Amino acid sequence: MFKAWEIFLYPNPALNFFTTVSRTCLVVLYLGFQTVDGSAGLAPPQQVRLDADKETQTLSVTWEDGHASTFDVEILRTELMEMVLNETVGVTEDQSTGKHQWNWTSPVPLECTSLSVKVRSRDGQDVSEWSSQQILPGLDLPDNTDSQMYPEGKTVPVGSNMTFCCIVEEGQQFGSLWYKDTLVKENMLSRRTYATTMTNQGPSNPSGTNVVCSNEKKMIIAGAVVFVGYPPLPSDLVCETHDLTSVDCQWSKGRDTYLFGMTRQTYYTLNGRNCPKARNSNMRCGLEQWDGNWTLVARNLLGEFRLTDAAELGHRVRPVAPVNLTTPEVYSWNASVGWLWKDKGFERLSLICQVCLSGHQTYTGYGLNTVVLKDLQPDEKYSVKVRCGSQKNFWKWGEWSLPLSFQTKMDRSVAPDIWLWMDSDNLGRVLWKPLTKSESHGQISGYEVILWSPEENSQQTLTLPQSVYSLPINVTDLGSKVTVTVTARNPAGVSLPANVVIPRYLPDAEDTAISKVAFNGSGFPLSWVAHANASCGYVVDWYNTSCTQDCNVEWTRVAADNTNTMVQSGNFFAGVRYTFSLYACSSESTVLLERWHGYMQELVPSRTVLRLSPNQEGADVQLTWDQIPLEHQRGFILGYTVYLTNASHLTLLANITDPQLTNHTVRNLVLGSYKFTVKAYTAAGEDGGATVSISLEPYTYWLIMEILVALGTMTCLLIVITIAFTGFSFSIFTILWKTMPGTGLICVCFQGTLDVKPSPHSMVHIVEDSVWDSSKEALVTVPEEDEEGTGDEAADTDEPASLRYYNQVVEEGSSSQRRPHASDSSASSTGSMDSGHTDVTYTGIQTSACYRPQMQSASCPEEPQTGPEEHLQPPVGSFGGYQPQCSWKQDSPEADGDGLDQTCLGSPTSVTSSQFLLPYDTSEEGKEHPSSASTWFHNLLTGKP
Amino acid sequence: MADQEHIEIDTLLDMPAPGRSRTGRAAALARLLHQDCTYLLELYRERESLLSDHTPAGDRIVSLSLSSPDLSSDEQVQLLHSALRKCLGLLECLILREEEEMGELEGEYETVRKGVRDRLGHLLHSTKVLLETEEDVTPDHQCNEEVDGVVGTFGAKMWTYRVLLELIHWANSASQTLHVLHSEREGREEI
Repeated sequence: MFKAWEIFLYPNPALNFFTTVSRTCLVVLYLGFQTVDGSAGLAPPQQVRLDADKETQTLSVTWEDGHASTFDVEILRTELMEMVLNETVGVTEDQSTGKHQWNWTSPVPLECTSLSVKVRSRDGQDVSEWSSQQILPGLDLPDNTDSQMYPEGKTVPVGSNMTFCCIVEEGQQFGSLWYKDTLVKENMLSRRTYATTMTNQGPSNPSGTNVVCSNEKKMIIAGAVVFVGYPPLPSDLVCETHDLTSVDCQWSKGRDTYLFGMTRQTYYTLNGRNCPKARNSNMRCGLEQWDGNWTLVARNLLGEFRLTDAAELGHRVRPVAPVNLTTPEVYSWNASVGWLWKDKGFERLSLICQVCLSGHQTYTGYGLNTVVLKDLQPDEKYSVKVRCGSQKNFWKWGEWSLPLSFQTKMDRSVAPDIWLWMDSDNLGRVLWKPLTKSESHGQISGYEVILWSPEENSQQTLTLPQSVYSLPINVTDLGSKVTVTVTARNPAGVSLPANVVIPRYLPDAEDTAISKVAFNGSGFPLSWVAHANASCGYVVDWYNTSCTQDCNVEWTRVAADNTNTMVQSGNFFAGVRYTFSLYACSSESTVLLERWHGYMQELVPSRTVLRLSPNQEGADVQLTWDQIPLEHQRGFILGYTVYLTNASHLTLLANITDPQLTNHTVRNLVLGSYKFTVKAYTAAGEDGGATVSISLEPYTYWLIMEILVALGTMTCLLIVITIAFTGFSFSIFTILWKTMPGTGLICVCFQGTLDVKPSPHSMVHIVEDSVWDSSKEALVTVPEEDEEGTGDEAADTDEPASLRYYNQVVEEGSSSQRRPHASDSSASSTGSMDSGHTDVTYTGIQTSACYRPQMQSASCPEEPQTGPEEHLQPPVGSFGGYQPQCSWKQDSPEADGDGLDQTCLGSPTSVTSSQFLLPYDTSEEGKEHPSSASTWFHNLLTGKP
Repeated sequence: MADQEHIEIDTLLDMPAPGRSRTGRAAALARLLHQDCTYLLELYRERESLLSDHTPAGDRIVSLSLSSPDLSSDEQVQLLHSALRKCLGLLECLILREEEEMGELEGEYETVRKGVRDRLGHLLHSTKVLLETEEDVTPDHQCNEEVDGVVGTFGAKMWTYRVLLELIHWANSASQTLHVLHSEREGREEI
């Protein structure tokens, strides 16, 4: 343009002035244009050329004639004219070629679509015109009809971002893009090209990550595979020698590269030599000669990593395994083992070797190739193997040799451990423990048992097979001091003898005190005072205490200088009592020193006390029982608990802490039925309890005594009355002693001091004869079922239909009235016979003036109880007050309206009741009196003091 | 399970049997092969995260027609034998390429793949016996990328996909053809 202008300005040089003015104007005009379009002075780049490296997605732009160092570059997608890049870059001219070159890495594969590139020069704000547009053709041009996807088969590091593009086949429609199995969003780059960008890609599987393009019919039309992984990162390179010549290097593979196959896997070189065997987890590589310095290079498509190691040969000796192990000499208790080296160099090296036998034993020596193994066991199979290392600058143990097996020779066994168990003075068993493998020193062929008595100078010898470990003995004819000797025989000979002097038979409870010993979790700790005559130590034996025949006896030996031991056994069981006996052992005697009883674990008794029985003693009940058999005790019986049982409720009456005491008396019981439960208890608790029932009956002896006292009092009273009223009161006597016609009854009724009048109801019936005239109202034994108010008596219907005496208690109210009337009422009795005889029937001895329980209520309201300690009440169906009459209802006309003040009412029950109704004082005195009196009377009858 | 079946088939093949039973055994073998091939494709799709409704484009690799009405059963078996030889060649080529690409792996896919190869070889022996001729039982395929049209890693995968589909197709064809042959021969024996 500038040149065009010059050609245009020089056609007519003669026109100087006009020309000068014109030129000046044009220059100004030109400068003005230059300012406006910026192109003045800067030439646009020429010969712009594009070169693409599609593998690296790099576009190289070169141009000439720029004459600037700054250029504007503009890149567009040709088809859609979308701006890809518009950037000002600094590019210097290559002096040798005179060209400018600028490289650009495209985020999108260069195959995806065509790119248009143009460049212009820039100098500050001045820019040249754009260069001609250059086009890098994509593979989406119409003449390239196939479907394609890019980039294909690339290997990239984990975390990379990548853009994939799909060029749809001409004539087909794009469907979708998938990365692995994920549908991804696409971006249209051209008519046929669609792209997607994946960021922060994760590691691929061995076959790579697929990116798939499908058409609208979901058919796969193109795809690409990307391999995402890591460069190698090995570690821990260590080189050593096994033969004192070559080198063997090993290393750790390190992080997984996730790259597989011949193309992408990691290759290793050691000091420049390939390591073809370094595969998978076997990361090792060898060289023929010891170099001293090693460099390992690990390489894959994503990079390489170097490791180095350096060492002197003598510091890295790890010998190969010794070979040809032999046992030149084998004895009972030792043997020698030898071996060879494949590499002669080890024969001249100070070695340290380990021999694996039972545990590791270490030997050292120059060129070591044989060792002696000590402390072996006779007749024992051994397997031995050897490994060695360099004694000087020890590096690592070498490989173990192949194992060598050998067997030591046999030897005589040790003396058996024997003991004696005496069942009686003369009978017993010799016991010995089976010899273990380490004790027998060869197969035991049998035992020999010798009984000999120095006193009698006699000897018995018995030979027994190897499977017998006990022998019954009878020392009746062998005197008081018998020694037993046992020897064991094996192919190597007879063992040393084991001797024991038969101890004296001492069952429990004889001579020796028995202590208790507690199990401490691991055993029974026993300790004792040293005994002078224990030259060959002590023996502790133990057995199940309740065992009586062929008991399993175990024992342990304790050295003479020891006075304690812990008895341990796998045969201890919970709930079993064991007897431990300590013997002092000497060549002269075996003496029992001490005994213990112990439980590994105490349990509650497995059964209840035996033969629990109640025995009524007046208002008391004595319970007696037998002890629980030993095998059922399962613990030390600490005592017994006595309960009153009411339904499921147990009320503790007594805790007997003396386990030898097997009876208990429950005192002050009122009439009724009781259940008592007795439980034995150990440290583990109580047993289930034995229960016994008893129904308390009136104590006849007390009643008889009261009747006698009443009769005596009455007699005295009559005498006084007779004396006092002789002369003027004869008529009164007549009334008083009037026999009631037709009844055979006498009624004595006091009202006030002298105002005594007969009562038609309060009476004592005396059956004069069991075959009395039936026309009269004779009193006979009345079964209780026939009585009135049978509701509460129903529980007693199983008792014999004989006379019953209810020793009832009036709980409250009339204590002041009772005692005097106790004698008053009985004054009406005219006879007393054996209470158990039906010929005489007391039918209602009433304290008629004072007792009014029948008047209180027809429904027997419950009275407050004073508690079991004071007066134990029958738990179920108990009677309150005068129980038999309690349901009686007052129907006597005399009673109506008079209420309780009627002091001389005859009780209607007096006619039909066969019961004595006696007072009972609730005061302290009153409580004690009948009890003590009845006890006294009972004792009198039974002859007890 | 595949190993157990393999042993059973081997036992079956070793047993002397009349002609009627040979066709039955061959048909059973083809049926098992078809099951194995189907399972192999399932494992392949799983490994490659290819959805089952995404199918590769392209024509059949082994193009032989058994459906012509003019072909006798024996001729069909002859064609089948040829097709199976090509399938075996394709499978061995497939194995070779995969091992180059990924190394020697020991997953379930590789185990089933080996089982298919062995069973396909057994089937070829069976059909050869049925034809009572000296048919070749060696693989009939030159493992050549240019011939196979394999371009790039993804192209190789699509080729593998197509080969697996081909195996299913021909195993199924073998199963049906041999079943028909078995029925025919059985009918003749009864007459």
